[in-house]
Amino acid sequence: MSLPQINLPRGNGPLADVKLLDLSWIVAGPTVGRAMADYGATVIRVESPTRVDTARIVGPFHADEPGVEQSALYGNVNAGKWGITLDLRVPEARDIFRRLVQWCDIVSESFTAGVLQRWQLDYPQLRKLKPDLIMLSSTLLGQTGPYRSVSGFGSQGAGMSGVQYLTGWADRPPAGPFGPYTDYPAPRFALTALLAALDHRRRTGEGVFIDQAQAEGTLQLLAPALMDYMNGGPEIERRGNDDPQLAPHGVYPCSPTDGRSESWVALAVATDQQWRELAQLIGADPSLNLDQRLERRAPLDDAIGQWSSQRLASEVETALQAVGVSAHALSTTEDASHDPQLAHRVHFRRLPHALHGETVVEAPRYILSESPAEVSRPAPMYGEHNELVLTRVLGLTDNEITALAAAGALS
Amino acid sequence: MLSPYRVVDLSDERGVLAGQMLADLGADVIQVEPPGGSSGRGVAPFFADRPDQSIYWAAYTRGKRGITCDIESPHGRDLLLRLLDRADFLIESSDVGRMARLGLDHETVREHHPQLIYISISAFGQSGPKAHYVGSDLAIWAAGAPLLMTGDDDRAPLRVSQPQAWGHAAGDAAGGAMLALHARHQSGRGQHVDVSAQVSAAQATLGQILAFSVGAVEPERFGGGIKLRGVGIRGTADVLDGHVVVTLAPGPAIGHFANHAARWLVEIGAADRRLLDEDFVTYADRAAAGRADPDLFPRLQQLMRDEVAKRTKQEMLEVSIEYDLLLVPVLDVVDVAESRQLEARSFWREIEHSDGRRVTYPGPPLQILLDNQPMVDQHRQPPTLGQHNAEIYGELGVKADDLMRLRSEGVI
Repeated sequence: MSLPQINLPRGNGPLADVKLLDLSWIVAGPTVGRAMADYGATVIRVESPTRVDTARIVGPFHADEPGVEQSALYGNVNAGKWGITLDLRVPEARDIFRRLVQWCDIVSESFTAGVLQRWQLDYPQLRKLKPDLIMLSSTLLGQTGPYRSVSGFGSQGAGMSGVQYLTGWADRPPAGPFGPYTDYPAPRFALTALLAALDHRRRTGEGVFIDQAQAEGTLQLLAPALMDYMNGGPEIERRGNDDPQLAPHGVYPCSPTDGRSESWVALAVATDQQWRELAQLIGADPSLNLDQRLERRAPLDDAIGQWSSQRLASEVETALQAVGVSAHALSTTEDASHDPQLAHRVHFRRLPHALHGETVVEAPRYILSESPAEVSRPAPMYGEHNELVLTRVLGLTDNEITALAAAGALS
Repeated sequence: MLSPYRVVDLSDERGVLAGQMLADLGADVIQVEPPGGSSGRGVAPFFADRPDQSIYWAAYTRGKRGITCDIESPHGRDLLLRLLDRADFLIESSDVGRMARLGLDHETVREHHPQLIYISISAFGQSGPKAHYVGSDLAIWAAGAPLLMTGDDDRAPLRVSQPQAWGHAAGDAAGGAMLALHARHQSGRGQHVDVSAQVSAAQATLGQILAFSVGAVEPERFGGGIKLRGVGIRGTADVLDGHVVVTLAPGPAIGHFANHAARWLVEIGAADRRLLDEDFVTYADRAAAGRADPDLFPRLQQLMRDEVAKRTKQEMLEVSIEYDLLLVPVLDVVDVAESRQLEARSFWREIEHSDGRRVTYPGPPLQILLDNQPMVDQHRQPPTLGQHNAEIYGELGVKADDLMRLRSEGVI
């Protein structure tokens, strides 16, 4: 006999009634669940006990020590969730999964297209169990099409979306953006759509299936460049930090502080007035118009670089912002941790942690004036809440859990 | 999905994607521009045959309706407030302080429009020591920290050649707007959503923004890959006609992909069958304990580089699909435009503009089933300047002769 369900402690906030079963991994999918947990949703993160989430084995690591419980990246995208391990290759684990599907409102997953189908756990099957299910399937290239089964990280997504090609110097191979770029825009599109789906279900009772190709999210951010070519314009190439409408525009060397090897400032001149202000500071011709500045880009960049390299990046930033020119020092992560603006927004949130004493996660990327986010607990350790979830949510007995473990469903 | 909701979108080029995301989900989005047109209409690139028409603006106003309104004038402000009577969301991306100066900030507007969800997108946020800083794609990317991590290690750090920072912020604005909608279901009240593009940009650091805070080393930039403890690791490889992104590593997370690569190398005769005896999932631990050949994995990497270099991007993509490798081509703009995958997913859409031109656009970012049926998206041309003035002001009860007067006074 099963025990009566007593469920998990409820969250606070606008999503307090929402239950998410989060089978996604690494960054794009888990980031969506993190955002929902911040606003009160009950999120159960399901991990494979054998295939370690890559987010656990890339840094940054606490105290710079690698290890599956050390990653601040994993911590950042999974804070506030409950964590269980299920080996879905085992039939008994799939039974547990089906029962959790009936418990939840939303399933979020990012298996390679076709994997859930083989296990009879894809949307058409789960919909039979729960017709009003909301489900997000998020992969690099989507659930359909000839390349649907391409495996990969957002680094592969960067290749397939064009952003890898479009980041670099004109005279060199592509440098590419930092990390798995398609993981960054994707959760914004997915979160917005899932919250819209909850609203839709609330009004209509209808279930919703969302097929996300993460690369297509990045294509939205590259749309102007792609549309240009597709509508008879030129093929856009990578162009360093040059901009067709802004000059000067670039990253300039500054005088390093504190034994650092380098220091830089970003600077963007958008108007003739801004140019006059900058020209006065560096001793250049203030009368140049945009076309002239674009034409003399190289010598002007040199002149700015000579001026900036005598100064601290923070001094250049302050001096230019004081006269209305867009500039900012290139932040290291140390700089970011001391940045007064990020501090003003309480961007770095400290949480007690069983292993590390304390961990740090980022705050949500928006501030809601009347619905403050609450990061209720750090990300789960591997399988930390197996027993809690199996007993409280599914009402399993100790004997049933022992049988599951013996079948290899949990480890 | 969002068809019951109306969005009044005052954003310029800095936030214009947010409203489009809501439009793609079915919301009625009204782009409000000054009578002379949004500054976003001046952002490059431009249609080749129409040097005055911004592709940037077209790309992010598709699916919206459009009106003009001089919100700097008292008449225009009144019109906007009437429009807000029936609105659920307002999105704005003005310089911080401008909306307050116009008496259109959240504090003021909520008095008569308590239902309204008011979303502000700015470079650094609505308050704080840098709130009045002048923002730009590059400065935001610098302040949010991805800029220093990007680029070749022997040159200055780099941004993406198509500006990205405001797009990330707009994406967060759409998510924040929807969270506030769920809060309104509980409380009956709207609220203010304050989006900082600096914070949005920090998403593009892969959590490295936390490195110093947790005691980890600073990340270092390395073109085409990453640098770990001073050692550059290439994540790309050369092919005959360009480059591929390839991830190859032993270990429990992705070691099985290295096994797949070994199988490919053996089957094409580039490697000895004994390579198949190794399991790269467990290899790293055994190599560290002296129970596996420490040179084996580096040899696998070199073999991969050698064989990949003899093939084209397309050939390697096909190999990658057949053998399940973590390898894809670095597509350029033409490759993306001609992608068979995007074609099969009907990603590109042609829209006929009112002047008869057929213009190719990206479709919505997601494919959605409602009750198992494909969601019909609103696919219409971006509004011309003031295209829906008569229609929308008509809905507010503004009469035709009043419209004429407002036009002659320069309010619309």
